[in-house]
Amino acid sequence: MAYIRKRNKKIFGIFLVPAMLVLFLTTIYPMLYAGYLSFRSYDLAKPFVPRVFVGWSNYREILTSSEFLHTLIVTAKLMAMTLSVQLVLGVGIALLVTQKLPGMGVARTLLLVPMMISPVIVGLVWLFLYFPELGYLNYFLSFLGVGAIPWITSTNWALWAIAIADIWQWTPFVMMGTAAAVQSLSPEPYEAAMIDGNSRWDVFTRVTLPQLKPVLVSLMFLRAIDAFKIYDIIFVLTKGGPGDTTEVLSLFIYRQSFTFWRMGVGAAASFVSLVIIVVLITLFFKSLNRDDYA
Amino acid sequence: MKHLKMALMGSAVAIGTTGSATAGDFDGVELKMLAIGDTSVTRLAPIVGEFEELTGAKVQIDMFPYPGLIDKIVIEASADNPSYQLMWVDSPWVGVLGESGALEDLTELVKRDAEEIHLDDIIPIQLQENTWQGRLLAFPASGMIWHQNYRKDLYEHPEEQAAFEAKYGYPLTPAQTWDQYIDIAEFFTRDAGEALAGEVLDKPFYGNAQAYSRVAGAITHDFFPIMRSFGGQYWDAETGLCAMDGEAALAAANVMKELVAFNPPDYLGLMWDIRTGYMERGETAQSSYWSVRTVRLTNPDEAVLPTIGEAGYAASPTGDGNPQPTMTGALSFAINSKATDTEKEAAWEFIKWGTSQDMMRRFAEEGSGVSQFHKSILSDPELQEKYPYYQVLLDTQENAQRRIFHPFYADVEEVFGVELNKFMAGETESAQEALTNACTKINTRLKVFPEDLRLRWINDAQAEIFD
Repeated sequence: MAYIRKRNKKIFGIFLVPAMLVLFLTTIYPMLYAGYLSFRSYDLAKPFVPRVFVGWSNYREILTSSEFLHTLIVTAKLMAMTLSVQLVLGVGIALLVTQKLPGMGVARTLLLVPMMISPVIVGLVWLFLYFPELGYLNYFLSFLGVGAIPWITSTNWALWAIAIADIWQWTPFVMMGTAAAVQSLSPEPYEAAMIDGNSRWDVFTRVTLPQLKPVLVSLMFLRAIDAFKIYDIIFVLTKGGPGDTTEVLSLFIYRQSFTFWRMGVGAAASFVSLVIIVVLITLFFKSLNRDDYA
Repeated sequence: MKHLKMALMGSAVAIGTTGSATAGDFDGVELKMLAIGDTSVTRLAPIVGEFEELTGAKVQIDMFPYPGLIDKIVIEASADNPSYQLMWVDSPWVGVLGESGALEDLTELVKRDAEEIHLDDIIPIQLQENTWQGRLLAFPASGMIWHQNYRKDLYEHPEEQAAFEAKYGYPLTPAQTWDQYIDIAEFFTRDAGEALAGEVLDKPFYGNAQAYSRVAGAITHDFFPIMRSFGGQYWDAETGLCAMDGEAALAAANVMKELVAFNPPDYLGLMWDIRTGYMERGETAQSSYWSVRTVRLTNPDEAVLPTIGEAGYAASPTGDGNPQPTMTGALSFAINSKATDTEKEAAWEFIKWGTSQDMMRRFAEEGSGVSQFHKSILSDPELQEKYPYYQVLLDTQENAQRRIFHPFYADVEEVFGVELNKFMAGETESAQEALTNACTKINTRLKVFPEDLRLRWINDAQAEIFD
């Protein structure tokens, strides 16, 4: 028996090698290399700039930079805008599509389409919609007597324009998760609430929502982590502009790495971003644990 | 046998003894070009088969948008085994690519083939644009100046002329100063329903269209020529540090800010092609930009304007109306220094073929010209009649200065792009604050280098091909 266990262990080990190799080459090694770069002065475009060890200097530069702080604020603002709307809309639509009404199956499938599209394509679709002079959105708004809105070229509108595109793409994710949870809810509490004569709103706030809370918390954290890394849509729509209105953290990292070619600074900014995400994840798991013991 | 032939040709390149190629000289050689999708390349791409017939070398041109192209070139230059032997280069990139050793030095090849390429016929500043520390690293495929384009039909309309003179007290002619330019922009800005040249407008008409977008530093491509037209300089000649926050730069930023009111409402998103689009569709009275897009204004297949009005062309206005050096630029072809010797020789043959006087004349005669850089073509009376802006191109380059060519150009373009865009958007209160912020950021990066190196980077050494 011990021999079989030992032999199985060996076989399992052999089977694990390819996966570990891929993981090492595609995740661990690049991460270690990025960590190494973050302590160096490394300019890809200018090999004549000395590539030397600079200690914590790249991290110091980032953490004391007003630009970096600004990108954190913009990222937080965008997260607040998108997550709040996605939560409300996602739950609302989930409650609707879980009703036993005709056509809900088709509606549910169609609502998932935006989520399946690549974010770059989503960006391009919304670029056509937002385009100031020729965009469809302003064209249709003109029928309502609304003047042309400079969606992506105004400091007042640009962040909202990005948020709308993100909400359009990711609300279905919240809807899908919530709908699955709604369908798995036990009917007994509802029957009891109905017998007690509660209104629909009371049933929703006192029965449905408390039961959905763990799922909604999970969905929001997953969306928060995703929203924190938002890049593609902004790159296509505004590239951080106008001014620095839509300059989020990912774009800051991109500019440092591939516009200024300061790979060391870019790598350090990536690690700072990683730390923030790890903190978010830790909070997420702590919150889940709290729910488990509540 | 083929390998032997290639090896022999490679050796010949190394000692610089070959002249122009003959049929089949480069059989089996395959070249790839990393390029932009603009006139300097789009005109050539459909006919590269002719080069293959001529020499045996096959050329594949991959075209990309301007934003991001330098990123691809930098990555290509840092690769040990390059995928592209030929590269399209905007002249401000010569500094960083030159200092990195990414481009093949063409100086000796140009000297060797001076007669064949009609070196004397090329406007000298267009060659100077492509030099780094005196060495020629790229060859012009399209020579540019920054100048004003305007609606000649509107400027010559009697009612508009009378109304303008009554309002401003001087006749309506192409602006010579930026104050006049602003007056003209204000005068022609009209809402839908108002009259323009006797006709009621069904949509707004704009007095001006300039690039204000921060994307790929588009705003700086208009800001720097205006700054230079006020006599401004990029760098401090004593220290090699940023000087783009002086009086001329302030004046330029304020001119652009004043023009905002007369631009389309999406001005903050106006990139090069969107801005030229307003002129090409005849929706603005004037727009100053690089002559590389001016070629489209005479071609009804590429612009609406020739069918509804007429474009006029003039030199860029200046601060006080007195002459200032014209801002030039060159869109050029270069050879990757990591290509093999045979590829380099084939690539040079391609450059000579694609930029030759004959090819340029052919483009001009076919009506799909590029922005020319040969004196004989620009001064040809028949071609001048067809392309009235040729005379402006020719005249203005007699007194011209090259564009910025510093190894930190990408930093300058991005940092100034963002800071100026913020100022135009009203996020930064004053031009002084925006320019000081930008210069401070650039200087932080430059100050780590010794002064003698910084001074070498701003030294515009005379091209050694003229020695």
